Amino acid sequence: MLKSRFWGGVHPLGKDSSGKGPTRELAVEQFVPKSVRIPMNMHLGAPSTPCVGAGERVKIGQLIAEAVGPLGVQVHASVSGVVTEVRPAKDGTPASVAIENDFKDEWAELSPLGSVETCDTEAILPAIQAAGLCGMGGAGFPTHVKMCIPCGDKCETVILNGAECETHLTSDHRLMIEQPERVLNGLRAAMRAFGTDRGVVAIEDNKPDAIEAMRKAATGKPGVTVMMLATRYPQGGEKQLIQAVTGREVPAGKLPIDVGVVALNVATAAAVSDAVELGKPLVDRIVTVTGRVRRPANLRVPIGTSVGEILEFCGGVEKGAKVVLGGAMMGICASGPDAPVTKGSGGIVVYGPGEMPEPTPCIRCGRCAQVCPIGLVPYEMEGYILSKQLDAAEEIGVMDCILCGCCSYICPARRRLAPGFRDARGQIQEERRKK
Amino acid sequence: MKFFVSNPPHVLSPVTTRRLMLNVVLALVPCAAMGVYNFGLPALWVLLVSSASAMLAELLWQLCARKPIRVDDLSAMVTGLLLGLTLPPSAPLWVAGVGGAFGILVVKQFFGGLGGNFMNPALAARAMLLVSWPAAMSGYVAPGTDAVSSATPLAQSFNWPDLFLGKIPGSIGEVSKLMILAGLIWLLATSTISIRIPLSMVAGAALTNWVLGGNPLGEVLSGGLLFAAVFMATDYVTSPRPGPGQWLYGLGCGVLTILMRHFGSYPEGVTFAILTMNVLVPLIDRAIRPRIYGHERRERHA
Repeated sequence: MLKSRFWGGVHPLGKDSSGKGPTRELAVEQFVPKSVRIPMNMHLGAPSTPCVGAGERVKIGQLIAEAVGPLGVQVHASVSGVVTEVRPAKDGTPASVAIENDFKDEWAELSPLGSVETCDTEAILPAIQAAGLCGMGGAGFPTHVKMCIPCGDKCETVILNGAECETHLTSDHRLMIEQPERVLNGLRAAMRAFGTDRGVVAIEDNKPDAIEAMRKAATGKPGVTVMMLATRYPQGGEKQLIQAVTGREVPAGKLPIDVGVVALNVATAAAVSDAVELGKPLVDRIVTVTGRVRRPANLRVPIGTSVGEILEFCGGVEKGAKVVLGGAMMGICASGPDAPVTKGSGGIVVYGPGEMPEPTPCIRCGRCAQVCPIGLVPYEMEGYILSKQLDAAEEIGVMDCILCGCCSYICPARRRLAPGFRDARGQIQEERRKK
Repeated sequence: MKFFVSNPPHVLSPVTTRRLMLNVVLALVPCAAMGVYNFGLPALWVLLVSSASAMLAELLWQLCARKPIRVDDLSAMVTGLLLGLTLPPSAPLWVAGVGGAFGILVVKQFFGGLGGNFMNPALAARAMLLVSWPAAMSGYVAPGTDAVSSATPLAQSFNWPDLFLGKIPGSIGEVSKLMILAGLIWLLATSTISIRIPLSMVAGAALTNWVLGGNPLGEVLSGGLLFAAVFMATDYVTSPRPGPGQWLYGLGCGVLTILMRHFGSYPEGVTFAILTMNVLVPLIDRAIRPRIYGHERRERHA
C-alpha cells in the first residue's frame, strides 16, 4: 500500500500511541450536563446575535442566535430547558447564552430532506447552513461557506479528514468505528451537492480498525474510496492532507477549491449527514477526555457543556493542573472550569502542574526547518521577529506558517517558536488592516 | 479555581541542547581513549586542561557578564575537548589552557555566546595557537617514544593497521581513524548529525587530490582531515542548516583543504579550510533556501 507523504512533520509522544492508548478502545458514552453555556464565537466569522431572552423555554435544536456577516454561523440550543442568562461580550470573554437543563430531552421540530442519495441537491447547502455547521477539526470555518463553490471552479474531489494526527484525541477515531455510515452519508451528500463522483476518506495507518470499518461501510457507495496515510503529525493539516492525497499544493493565498478539492473533517461530515437526513442542527459532538484524569473517556457532549462538569464526571483534576482543549500540539489551555466545549473541541487533555522549560540560545541546528511541513526556516523567522524586523519575517514566509508547532516541539533549545509566529502574524494582519 | 495556562505545543521532544552536546562528548570518547592509550599520560593532561579551561572560561564569563549560567549545556566542554584532541600530545599544558580560554572568550562569548559565533571556536583557537606558537604546536611524537620524530607527519607514509589504530605521530585524537569512525557511527545513530557534511568533505578532498594526481585515499586518511570532517565541520552553529547547502559546504571544506595542503605553506590545510567555509555559511544559507509550500521557487526573491 502506497502511503503518501507531505513535507517534514514529527512523531510527538512516539509513533505508535501518540498518547491515544487510554481512550482508543473506549466506546462513546452520552454525557448529560446540568446546564450549558453556549458561546457565540465558536466559528471563524463575526459572533452570532442571540435571539432568545432570559426566562424563555427552549427545546434542543431550537435557534438561539442568528448568524452575522458573510462568515457567520447559526447557533442552536443543545439541551432543553430555561434560558438563565444572555451574557454580552465583556473583557475578552465572548457573548454566551446559558441554559438550565430540564432533563426532558425535548426536541424542536425538525425538517429533514430525506435520504442523502435521493434528496434535492439544491437543498443540501441551505440545510447545512440552517444547521449551524462549522469545521469540527478545530478551525471553525463555516461549512456552508466552504462548500459554496465560486463560479468557474469545480470540486473534483471531496476529502474527508480522518487523519486525527493530534496527540491524545480519539473522538474522530471512535466516530469512524462506531458510526461509519453517518460519516459516509455526509460524504455522499457533499459529493452530490458538488456533482462530483470522487470522495476520499483519508485515515492514518495507526487506526487500522477505523480504516477497516470505513472500508466495509464504503462498499457499494459510488465513488467513495478509503485511503491509508502515513502516521505523522500534521498529516491532518488541510494543506498537508491535500498534498498527501492528491499530490498537489494549494497555491499561497488560495483555497483548496483552486486545486479542485474540498476537505471536511469526518465529524463535520457526520453532522452534514444529520443536517440532511434528520434536519438536525449541530448540538453535540464527541470529546475525548484523557491525560491526568482518573477515568479517561470518549463522551458525546452537548455543545456548551463546561469543562469543569465533564472533568468532575471523569474523576476530577489536581490543583494547578493544565487543561488543554484539543491535542498536545495545537490545543489551547482552558483558563478555568467554566470554559465550554465548542463545536471544534475534539478533546480535553489534562496535564499535571508544572511550567514548560525555559528557552536557551538557538544553536542553529536547523531541526525546525527540517520538520516544517511548509518549508519555512523557523529559526531565521524568530531571529527577525526578535529584532523587530517583521518585514523580513514576512519576506521569508511567516504568513505561510500554519502554527502546527512542529518547530517548537523539535527545538532542542526549547525556543517558543510557534507562539512567536502566531503573535507576529497578528501584528502583521493588524498593520495591513490599518493601511 | 484557575487552571495553569501555557502556549502550545504541550509536549516537547526529549532531545535537548545538552543531550546533543553530550552525544558529541560521547562520540569523542573513543578518540580520546585511544589517544591516551597511544601517547600516555601527557595526552590525558592536555585533554583535561583544554576542557577545564574552556568550561572555566565559560563559567567566569557568564558570572562576570551576569548572564544565565549555562556551563551545564556542555557546549564549552565540547569546544575544549575538540581543541585538546587536535593538539599534539607534547603540547605544553599552558598552550592547551590558553587555547581553551581563547576559543570560548574571544571566538564564542565576544560574539554573543552559544549560537552567536561565526567561526568554530575550537578550530579558531587551534589556528591562533598554530600561528602564535608554531614550535609548541608541531612537536609530533611517535607513540611509545619520547623523541620528536617529525614536524610534518603528513609527509610520511604508514601502514594500514597503524593508521587505523593511531600508532602514528599526530594529534591526540586525530590519529586513530577507527575511533573517528566509531564516533561518526554514534553521531549518525543518535541523529545528532547527518552524513552530508562528513561525506561531502571527504569526497571533495579525495576528488581534488585525484585531479592533482595524488592518491585519493592517502590524503583523506592523513593528518586531521577525517577528524575534522566528522567533528569540526559538523558544528551546528558554524555550518549550513540541513539540506543541499551542507553538501556544498562539505565539498568546499574538502576541496580547500587539499588546495591549501598542495599550494599553501602550512602542511595542514584542514583548519584554515573549514574556517574559510565557516565565514561563507551565511551566504550559503541565504542562497539555498527550501521552497515554501504553495509558492513557486523564485517568487519570493524575485
